[in-house]
Amino acid sequence: MSLLSFAAALVGFGVLAPVLGCLLSGADRIVSARMQGRVGPPLLQPLHDVRKLLAKDVRPVNSFQGFYVLLALLFSLLAGAFFFAGGSLLLVVFVLTLSTLFFVVAAYSTRSPFAEIGAEREIIQVASYEPMVILFAVSFFIATGSFDVSVALAREVPVIAQLPLVFCALLFILTIKLRKSPFDLSYSHHAHQELVKGITTEMSGRTLALVEVMHWYENVLFLGWVALFVVWSSWIAVPVALAAVLAVYFFEVLIDNNFARVKWQSMFKWSWAVTLVLCLANILVLSFL
Amino acid sequence: METIGFLIVFPIVAAAVLLLLRNERARSVVVVGSVLAVMAGAVVLAAGSLFEQPAFFKLPLPHLDEYISYVMLAVSLACCAYVVVKGVLHKRPAAVLMAVAQAGLLVYYEFFVAHGLTAASDFYVDNLSVVMALVVAVIGGGICIYALSYMRDFQKHEDEQGRPDRRPVFFALMFVFLSAMFVIVFSNVLAWLLCGWELTTVCSFALIGYTRTDEAVANSFRQIMMNLAGGLAFAVALILLGTAPQPLMELDQLVLLGSATGTGFFGAGYFGYLMLPIMLLAVAAFTKAAQMPFQSWLLGAMVAPTPTSALLHSSTMVKAGVFLLIKLAPCLGWNVNGSLVVLVGGLTFLFCSAIAVSQSNAKRVLAYSTVANLGLIVACAGIGTPEAVWAAVFLLVFHAAAKSLLFCCVGTAEHHIGSRDIEDMDAIFERMPRLALLMALGMLCMFIAPFGMLVSKWATIVSIVESYNIALMVMLAFGSAFTFMFWAKWLGKTLAIAHAGTNVEKGVHRFEWSMLALMAALVIGLSMGFPLVSELVVMPYLADVGAVTLGGTHPFWNAVQPAIAFDNLVIMALLVTALLVAFVVQVSRRGSRARAVGDSQSSASAPAGGAMTPEAGPESIYLSGVGLDFEKRSFRNALSQESQATQRNWYLESWFGESVLLSIANLVTIVVMAAGLVLAVLSWGGVL
Repeated sequence: MSLLSFAAALVGFGVLAPVLGCLLSGADRIVSARMQGRVGPPLLQPLHDVRKLLAKDVRPVNSFQGFYVLLALLFSLLAGAFFFAGGSLLLVVFVLTLSTLFFVVAAYSTRSPFAEIGAEREIIQVASYEPMVILFAVSFFIATGSFDVSVALAREVPVIAQLPLVFCALLFILTIKLRKSPFDLSYSHHAHQELVKGITTEMSGRTLALVEVMHWYENVLFLGWVALFVVWSSWIAVPVALAAVLAVYFFEVLIDNNFARVKWQSMFKWSWAVTLVLCLANILVLSFL
Repeated sequence: METIGFLIVFPIVAAAVLLLLRNERARSVVVVGSVLAVMAGAVVLAAGSLFEQPAFFKLPLPHLDEYISYVMLAVSLACCAYVVVKGVLHKRPAAVLMAVAQAGLLVYYEFFVAHGLTAASDFYVDNLSVVMALVVAVIGGGICIYALSYMRDFQKHEDEQGRPDRRPVFFALMFVFLSAMFVIVFSNVLAWLLCGWELTTVCSFALIGYTRTDEAVANSFRQIMMNLAGGLAFAVALILLGTAPQPLMELDQLVLLGSATGTGFFGAGYFGYLMLPIMLLAVAAFTKAAQMPFQSWLLGAMVAPTPTSALLHSSTMVKAGVFLLIKLAPCLGWNVNGSLVVLVGGLTFLFCSAIAVSQSNAKRVLAYSTVANLGLIVACAGIGTPEAVWAAVFLLVFHAAAKSLLFCCVGTAEHHIGSRDIEDMDAIFERMPRLALLMALGMLCMFIAPFGMLVSKWATIVSIVESYNIALMVMLAFGSAFTFMFWAKWLGKTLAIAHAGTNVEKGVHRFEWSMLALMAALVIGLSMGFPLVSELVVMPYLADVGAVTLGGTHPFWNAVQPAIAFDNLVIMALLVTALLVAFVVQVSRRGSRARAVGDSQSSASAPAGGAMTPEAGPESIYLSGVGLDFEKRSFRNALSQESQATQRNWYLESWFGESVLLSIANLVTIVVMAAGLVLAVLSWGGVL
């Protein structure tokens, strides 16, 4: 990862990811609506929502929350830039965890009981997906011999050929990371299953707008992870990756609309079991081949 | 050479002086002066040898090493005698028996085994021992100064209960501890190392039992039993080494010959007889580093005054255990010993991180986190590659800095808030704002990128993957999830803003502030200087191990590569700097705005217990009704009565409680250790 490619990725991701993330979110809402037999909002509704939030009066509950949310946003932007610059996958993972930590701290800083419950749930979500995220990076190394994202583009075959089970396990925990039902415990886009507003209870106006934008950044980054499995050193990889990413996102929306939120115990057990069984099986097979 | 002598002897002299001083002012002067002298000694040593080849010293005068051996033996025997006396007084026959056995083994070794042997070099200095010496002098010394004001508050409580003032003994013990640590990190003669080892054991025994309550006595005997068992293993290892076909009494020789046993998993080959002694040394290190199933002594050590915990956890005692394992790392790796060490360390990391989730007592959270992190260091040493040792050294250093900061913060908070329970530290961000920020810094350094511990953990992951240790990889991945859980919820609690509460940190003494500042500066400075420390100190150390200690014989150790690319280290250091700047700007901006518009940062502007005033200051949080009081989180409910919202952190005891996990964890680690010992005995006996 050279300084130049990092700068390019920072600008590219910083500008394009919100656009793509916003469109993705708009499409998500339309598709969800159709699944529920509704017409749904226009495609650019998420953008209008954020613009409205930005126009609101600034009435924070304390002078630190906005600061923490801003840090969370900046670190998710940075994580994306490291990823698309082809940097180390572990670096991406750690910076993203830092972003999540500041989001959690932002909720805690309010001392609101509802936000605290949301923050506790967010922590349990992190604990549920973190082993898989680390093992994702590790198995990527075992398959390619490097932690650097850039090596995926220099290979003859896509990584998924060696890591099919790891891919499945990653899809499982992506449901948590994309904040989709049944694992949207800390904060949900579905009002009917929310305890007040979870981790964002005390966030409003500009701060809440930042949370939305952060969500767009994160979603694009996660779909980048999906694409990482299906690219190789050929131009055909581009349409293939695009199709795969869209299919995965559609799949997540489908799951989102077909499951009710589960208890944290179930989320924890399932994600650990899936991670342990699928990753271990895949890594063991890979090391013996 | 002279500096080493100074570092070992001077603290003993200081201890003797402190033992005689009953005047508090004089004690402060002596402690501060001695600590500064020891720190200066360590810095001089570092300046002189950090950028040089490792140096081995033979004592200049003939027979001097013999006399020193007798002095060391006398010290060890005195330690045993102290335990015997205490054991008789408190009717602990098992402890008496073990101390007597230990004394017998030491005498036997000195007069029947080591008598015909002479060491080629007595002391040595390499970058690792310099790093350890700096850790002991700066962090350990800092804790001694911190203890000055802490123990004054502590003694006030003791006076109220009519207990005698035993602080001279306390401070003397602290200084003996430092001296013993210097013996451990500089001795090349294994018997002398063992003397330092026994001395730290007995010092912590006395420090844990300092308050002389029933609980303290019981816990101190738990400690001495476990560590004497480790000491016995060490002594047996010494005898086995001294009576081996090629007798050994020096650490560097042991590492050189032991690393050649790596020819087969069971150590088949010329030096196979070294398998058992090395395993015994590893078991001794497990007891000292409080690895499962020996972790309970470190948890029990919590009864002692907080500076003791800070000292045991950060710079001394447990670090002696991991230091020995890091030294032995080239002998570990892919053999019975290495696998045992990796498994014990990995399991300890996994289980202790999980148990820490269930603890609400701040000191117990710190203790379990210490044991878990030591497990990580142990596992790194067990992997035995230079990359893993790189990670182990950094884990050791950052853990020492961050943990001493955290322990001292918790100790200060306890004295001013009256509890060490995390739930009682509610709103500490307003009651003790500066302390809360320092505490948050310590926590961040312990578990999150871009700070030191996580960068070291990153290197750990890389070295594990490169050695294809899949079992350890899984333990690390899952253990890290627990780490996030227990730190994040505590950090959140620490940074919660209540818009109420009285500032109670005015009474914190300047000794405490200056030492907290020193440790915070270390945490930040080391995190920012990480790439430099790696290039200038740790990488040369690894190269020296390969070229000097191993004489270029070990394939892994000839071309040493860092586990993390240099530019990634620089990125991390830059992120630390950026975060620091952001926080400084935010905190000062908030402070100035609070002064300007009367933001209710302190209780000064928030009337009567922090009543919620919508006109000035921040918005009320949502509480299912009109908010009444920020601090109590009370609101007017649907019946126009006052209701209070309560919310505690989640501790999930039915999942991660000690009662759930401890017995399983102890059983598993005992089985692993027993299996390792059986295999080592079999391979030593030539069966495998």
